[in-house]
Amino acid sequence: MSDKHNNHKGVTSTRREFLRALGLSAAAMPFLANLPSLAATSSGQRKQRLIIMFSPDGVVPSTFWPDQEGAAFTFKESLKPLEPFRERTLVLNGVCDRVRGDGDNHMRGIGCLLTGVELFPGNIQGGSDTPAGWSSGISIDQEIKKYLQQNPATRTRFGSLEFGVMVPERADTWTRMCYSGPNKPIAPIDNPYQMFSKLYGRAKDQEQLKSVLDDVREDLKRVRAQVSVEDRRILEEHTTVVREMEQELHAASKDVGHAVPVLEPGVKKDNDNIPQISKLQIDLMVNSFAADFARVATLQYTNSVGQARFRWLGIQEGQHDLSHEPDNNAEAQEKLTRINHWYCEQLAYMAKRLAETPEPGGGGSLLDNTLIVWTNELGVGNSHTLDNIPFVMVGNGLGFQMGRSLRYQNASHNRLLLSLAHGMGHRISRFGNPDFCGDGPLPSLTA
Amino acid sequence: MRMKQCSIRVLPLYNSVEQTIRRLFQAMLPGRFTFPKRYAVLLMPLSVPVFGILSAYAVPGSEGRMVPIAAKSATPSGAKAPGAGSKARDSSKPARSLSSRQTTATSTQQSGEQIYRQMCISCHGVNGQGGKVFKGPLVGDRSIGQLARFIRLEMPPGRPTKLPVEDARRVAEYIHGAFYSPLARARNKPARVELSRLTVRQYRNAVTDLIGSFRAARQPDERRGLAAKYFKTQRNGQPILERVDSQIRFDFKTAGALPEQDDPYQFAMSWEGSVLAPDTGEYEFVVRTEQGATMWLNDLRQPLIDAQVKSGNSNEYRASVFLLGGRRYPLRLEFFKGVQGVNDLKKLKEKPPQNASLALEWKMPKRAGEVIPQRFLSPVVTAEVFVPVTPFPPDDRSVGYERGTSVSKEWVEAATEAALETTAYVTTHLSELSGVADDAKDRNERLREFCRKFVARAFRRPLSSEQMRLYVDRHFAGGNNQSADTELAVKRAVLLALTSPQFLYRETGVLETRATPSESAPAAVLPAAALKKTAANDSGAPTTGKTTPVSSATSTSDAYDVASRLSFVMWDSLPDEQLLKAAAAGELATREQVMQQAQRMATDPRAWFKMKEFLLQWLKVDHYPDLAKNPRRFPKFNEFVASDLRTSLEMSLEDIAWSEKTGFLELMLTDKFFLNGRLASVYGVSLAPDAPFQMVALDPGKRSGILTHPYILASFGYLDTSSPIHRGVLIARNFLGRQLRQPPAAFTPIAANLHPKLTTRQRVALQTRPSACASCHTLINPLGFSLETFDAIGSLRDLENGMPVDATGSYLSPYGQEVKFAGSTDLTRFLANSEEVHTAFVERLFQNMVKQPVRAYGPRTLTDLRQIFKVNRFNIRRQMIETAVVAALYGSNVSSSAAKKPGDAAGAIANQTAGDTKSAVKATSAANAGGVPRT
Repeated sequence: MSDKHNNHKGVTSTRREFLRALGLSAAAMPFLANLPSLAATSSGQRKQRLIIMFSPDGVVPSTFWPDQEGAAFTFKESLKPLEPFRERTLVLNGVCDRVRGDGDNHMRGIGCLLTGVELFPGNIQGGSDTPAGWSSGISIDQEIKKYLQQNPATRTRFGSLEFGVMVPERADTWTRMCYSGPNKPIAPIDNPYQMFSKLYGRAKDQEQLKSVLDDVREDLKRVRAQVSVEDRRILEEHTTVVREMEQELHAASKDVGHAVPVLEPGVKKDNDNIPQISKLQIDLMVNSFAADFARVATLQYTNSVGQARFRWLGIQEGQHDLSHEPDNNAEAQEKLTRINHWYCEQLAYMAKRLAETPEPGGGGSLLDNTLIVWTNELGVGNSHTLDNIPFVMVGNGLGFQMGRSLRYQNASHNRLLLSLAHGMGHRISRFGNPDFCGDGPLPSLTA
Repeated sequence: MRMKQCSIRVLPLYNSVEQTIRRLFQAMLPGRFTFPKRYAVLLMPLSVPVFGILSAYAVPGSEGRMVPIAAKSATPSGAKAPGAGSKARDSSKPARSLSSRQTTATSTQQSGEQIYRQMCISCHGVNGQGGKVFKGPLVGDRSIGQLARFIRLEMPPGRPTKLPVEDARRVAEYIHGAFYSPLARARNKPARVELSRLTVRQYRNAVTDLIGSFRAARQPDERRGLAAKYFKTQRNGQPILERVDSQIRFDFKTAGALPEQDDPYQFAMSWEGSVLAPDTGEYEFVVRTEQGATMWLNDLRQPLIDAQVKSGNSNEYRASVFLLGGRRYPLRLEFFKGVQGVNDLKKLKEKPPQNASLALEWKMPKRAGEVIPQRFLSPVVTAEVFVPVTPFPPDDRSVGYERGTSVSKEWVEAATEAALETTAYVTTHLSELSGVADDAKDRNERLREFCRKFVARAFRRPLSSEQMRLYVDRHFAGGNNQSADTELAVKRAVLLALTSPQFLYRETGVLETRATPSESAPAAVLPAAALKKTAANDSGAPTTGKTTPVSSATSTSDAYDVASRLSFVMWDSLPDEQLLKAAAAGELATREQVMQQAQRMATDPRAWFKMKEFLLQWLKVDHYPDLAKNPRRFPKFNEFVASDLRTSLEMSLEDIAWSEKTGFLELMLTDKFFLNGRLASVYGVSLAPDAPFQMVALDPGKRSGILTHPYILASFGYLDTSSPIHRGVLIARNFLGRQLRQPPAAFTPIAANLHPKLTTRQRVALQTRPSACASCHTLINPLGFSLETFDAIGSLRDLENGMPVDATGSYLSPYGQEVKFAGSTDLTRFLANSEEVHTAFVERLFQNMVKQPVRAYGPRTLTDLRQIFKVNRFNIRRQMIETAVVAALYGSNVSSSAAKKPGDAAGAIANQTAGDTKSAVKATSAANAGGVPRT
């Protein structure tokens, strides 16, 4: 079943349920329910957040992985933008996606990345291997979201938000990373205005409504003057309700926890606008965390086999084409390094914004309570290996000991997924294919 | 004085009517006398409209006894028979007169009314309205007991006459029932056309059609099915075949769909067209395939079902969507076999053959799943339909029809939420709806025109210059052509229009802010160019003029009011472009013109949809949504049979009730119904098992009319047994228009296995024997018993558990005639020809269509409409049109000589109906002359 289809259904039913449950007067609910520190005070625990950021086509190992292990390590070119956050960064080498089965490595690379389980057989044919369909399991972000949403203390309006940047308009194995269950891919929202309206549509509605209610009352008055005395009753009742609505809206607007962000208008979905879209999406994500709309977010740049053209970096070729170039094509490797450097800059911007934003109702910044995980569907583009999948983490959200470069020996990535769950308080013993869950969460992450 | 004679005939034992009734009511109390069965009918007036619901019954008196409010049931005011439909109060006479009866009945004591007239009237007036001495109206909330005591001890003030206890009580009873009590006052209040908000249905239709009016309508032709394109391999490229496929249910097995598709590993097809949603509600669409498919519904940009990715074993894809009934929705389906992504065919061909099949199914609201039948499909791709999904609180249906005469906070909030929803839709579809490109140079100006048009259509009339300023121009006042500002202005204008009482209410009367004749240039509501011109010419003239020279004593309405009433009666929606054009051109000035429009409107599917919903409500079938039967007893009766039966009922209704040629009589007497193969096997008709729905004779001679349709009979039955009570109540209330009280308590029917030797009829008789039950069940049971030849699933039977079925029945009319039925065909023949039934049907139809009480349209309107029904050979479609014309022209000054009295537009109708003036007049005078109704 398609993600879009799920989406459609979801929107309709939740919207209707939402309305049915709350009525219009509660339309300010997003703000009321997410007043700063409500959750923190009720649970006595800090609000933890997890962001998973995806970029495609592997990395250039020689310019990506630090040579050193431990706390004393040096960022190479690809990771240089993280320098300001070095004490809050954790680089994991040697973590491998060992899930096999149907589908080529790009498909399994993205489809099993967060699910840790095989793809179903299907009708999507990659460049090699057998055709495959969707993943046969839920992804870790959705698993954690489900866990958080079950508990009133950690429940938020959306639970999770799935952001995208320039994701192709087609639903297939290469374009979907998050799954709410087997065969249930989730489409990322790559249009910042659509995301804005998801986050703040109600608030905008309220503003508009407030702006016309005065006129509606005037209108009722005019009509009332025209009808018979007996008929005035119904209009008077109507007027009373309108007045009540005005008062409720007025009260609700006082309770808005933070300012609704203003988006740069008119940024179209276009390859060359990727930098602006990226910034808009990151800003919206940080805002949504500040408003506590969600505790989990994903940000997916393009797709597995992503073919973005980094013209703003002076690179004309598509990323995927470049990634196929052999190691000895120094120019290609240099370009790929710059491309990953750019992605890393996005990560750094995200970290910066989170670090600048105070934790509402608590001490410190959002970054103190957020972990960002940057990852990729492949280890290296030209070999299509699923070994040494990049996992670069920034932020102090999950109690990991940051400021280090770690090396594992062929550790299954399912164990890292378990670590993320445990770090968020969700103590499951296996995730995805149990064969790859080994001895549970990865060792040495926490102090 | 037909009534009087009849009444006297059945009341020989008592010396006054009042006494009779009092005795009868006393008898209704358990433990008192046995209730004489044949008098029960007195307590249930015939086809008493809304105000009369309680008039026949008792209210608890102060001493806890049941006392009659009045003898209304026996003698309506004036000389008219109750069946004749006149419910108006003649204010010159007492509200309730027993005098006519008193003179004929041998009386040994004075009635309460007589005493009142002799002793009280000089101060209190004929109807307690007050007089010179006692100026206030005689109203209050004392009980009868308190009132009697007060009268005895205090009246007249200063020199109480100390009436005997019994007399004081009679006076008190009379006063209380006639005008004193709150109940009596409510009843005596004259009916009027009340200011009403849109009902939920009307609201949804109105916003849907408002948006739809900005889209080019594409009408389906007579072809049914979907337009198919077959491709040799991939979906791109030229199709190798185009045709119309009747439905989507294919099994290609391991080959191509066509011989030309010679590569069984990859071929593709697409279908497009539209689908008609017969009901309003949640539809579930299902695509079944082992291959890839995508399905779009309504919104052709966003798939409803995207199953392009085949994954694992899933081959069934479902999605639900809320649709409004009576409308068509564009649909597209694409299918392909083969893999997507990297072309790797060589490898594929080494694989074993794969099956390919495809089905497009749906589950209509409250139905079983099925392949979407051909009759709902059209190869014409119709326009997208905006369907608001905001939930609303249900409308008040306490008087038998949905009406909008009250508002609640929930409703205002829902309407506001739906306005926001609609505004969001307009915003996201702005360039398509307005025809103004996002980068158009004069976008600001053109969107302002769009908004003016939008508001005018929402208000169902051209805007005055003041209205244009208020609702539109003001928001655009910022004036800089910034796109964000312009869009905000559009949002405000749309939101304001949709939350305005001028959109939300009907019958608001002519507002002073409305257009003057000079402003409302013809078709000003319509093309943008005209609006622009109007605005340009606007000199800010005073805006108090009336558009069309219409006026009457009761209300002021103009051609746009007529248009609007017409469209709400016919469609529950806004006037369409043609109607507004006619209003603008002054072509709604005569009855003929209005009639012509109504006739045109009846051909729109929305009209049939409205009629269908009315008929289903009349037949009360949606009260029992889950039609399930004991599978051990009726092994063939499953959810598919239940679903097919409903389809059969609706097809039969459309075929018979909506036809130009047939009507109520045929509906009541038909012995042919639509059956398909599955139903045929259950009900013993020989048809091929997979035969589609077709008209066939079902139990000819033993089954007649819609009342004997198996769906109706099964609906009014239990899991194992028939329910004569439910069937009888349906007939008494909905066909004969009788009022029945609720049972005094909730009863569980006696279980059949407790009395294995009794038939259903005998068990029912046993359970309803107590006198408290008998007052109603003497009416209900003999009606329901007539249908006992049909079991719980509506199959014909001679025996029940080996015992012969007794289907004899009877009906005692309020006129005193007793009709006996040998069985169901007698019953339906009686009902088909009964004036009571005709009147009840005409009134119910009117009130459901118009959402106002028929009495509010003049004292003679119901009688006239019933006469029209008869003159038009009981054609139901025609009756809807006539109803619409009466309602539309009410209070407007049509150029028709016959409509002299205000509010008596119906008078004109009888003389102009169907070109059959003579017979109409003749029939009318025959009815007026009285005479015993034929049975």
